[in-house]
Amino acid sequence: MTIEPGVIEAFRRGDDGAVRAVYREYGGLVFAVAMRVLGQRQLAEEAAQQAFVQAWRAAAGFDGDRPLGPWLATITRRVAIDIHRREARRAVTAIDDVPAGHGALVTLPPSADAIHEAWAVREAVDDLPPDEHEVVRLQHLEGFSHSEIAERLGVPVGTVKSRSFRAHKRLAARLGHLRGDDPP
Amino acid sequence: MSDEDRIAYLAGDDDAAPDDRAGLDELRDLLADPTLWAAPPAGLEDLVAAAIASEAGAGAAAPVVPVSARARRTPVAWRLLGVAAAVLLVVGVAVSVSRRSGGGGGERFSMALAAPAGAPAATGSAKLQRTDSGWRIQLQAPGLPRLDGGRFYEAWLRDAAGTLVPIGTFNEGTDVVLWAGVSPRDFPTLTVTEEAADGNQASSGKRVLTGTLTG
Repeated sequence: MTIEPGVIEAFRRGDDGAVRAVYREYGGLVFAVAMRVLGQRQLAEEAAQQAFVQAWRAAAGFDGDRPLGPWLATITRRVAIDIHRREARRAVTAIDDVPAGHGALVTLPPSADAIHEAWAVREAVDDLPPDEHEVVRLQHLEGFSHSEIAERLGVPVGTVKSRSFRAHKRLAARLGHLRGDDPP
Repeated sequence: MSDEDRIAYLAGDDDAAPDDRAGLDELRDLLADPTLWAAPPAGLEDLVAAAIASEAGAGAAAPVVPVSARARRTPVAWRLLGVAAAVLLVVGVAVSVSRRSGGGGGERFSMALAAPAGAPAATGSAKLQRTDSGWRIQLQAPGLPRLDGGRFYEAWLRDAAGTLVPIGTFNEGTDVVLWAGVSPRDFPTLTVTEEAADGNQASSGKRVLTGTLTG
């Protein structure tokens, strides 16, 4: 994922096209981080919107030679934790009446390291070719077997296996889980 | 343990479990976490763009200093910059206090509005000002088509728990003035819904605009 320096400069000025370009590149990642901290879509939407606004406010101080992603991840985590704390203060309902997923019940937000790890994994997954991305999603998120994925996608099981192997090789190499030096 | 075994384990083959699999287990756990796959709603891009455009239009942007120019500064220039920054900070705080509490009114906020996912494209903005009577909210959404014949728009403030407070009804979205008896700090989301005079006082749920306080 890369954003051209010219786009970052235009983003600093609040140029609509640049704002949308940065959002399209990083909106999914920002939202995923917000979801990871807050666990609720409505709060994550609020956090993602605030994160982009705060990134724009702080963009004058951003060093364009550095990658934008980790900087955005840090802002998003900070914004989401502020919302998390606000929701925790708001908790006046009897604890038994609060839904299990309520932000106020999540006692500790993920650490900065955990957020950056999640960001890196999401970025790596998003960069997979679409056919491999779908196999990984169905396998890990939906819990489907190779044969179930094959049936769902209408392709031979062997195709699913080879896509799965290629996808996980890319992920493992990119995320530093292989002993070999060369990424695929 | 070979890389092939590590890849196979990551792909779900537990028979290939390597001895040092802690990192792979963490990665597998992350891949199975629904939050990792969460996708933002379709309307969020418009909300982000509208919120930034609203602030940029109000001149809220910090002055842009190119990174290359910063890198060329000497230590003396840095000290001068520090003094200038301190002056700007003092001025900035004064301006901020003035914007939020002075000028003949109370706190003021602005908010960008956009159509939620699935609703016809529309944008708008709202200026919120605290007065002794309550919060005065001036809404501009000229793109909303006029509603008549028992159909109208209704605006609401919503808190994080989903509690809705109605703040007024109107037919078209130019220079609409609404009043709220609750603070947008506590009810930070403004929504506009399409309603009918059918005796049902609850929201129809047909949202045409929404925005959240970002300050």
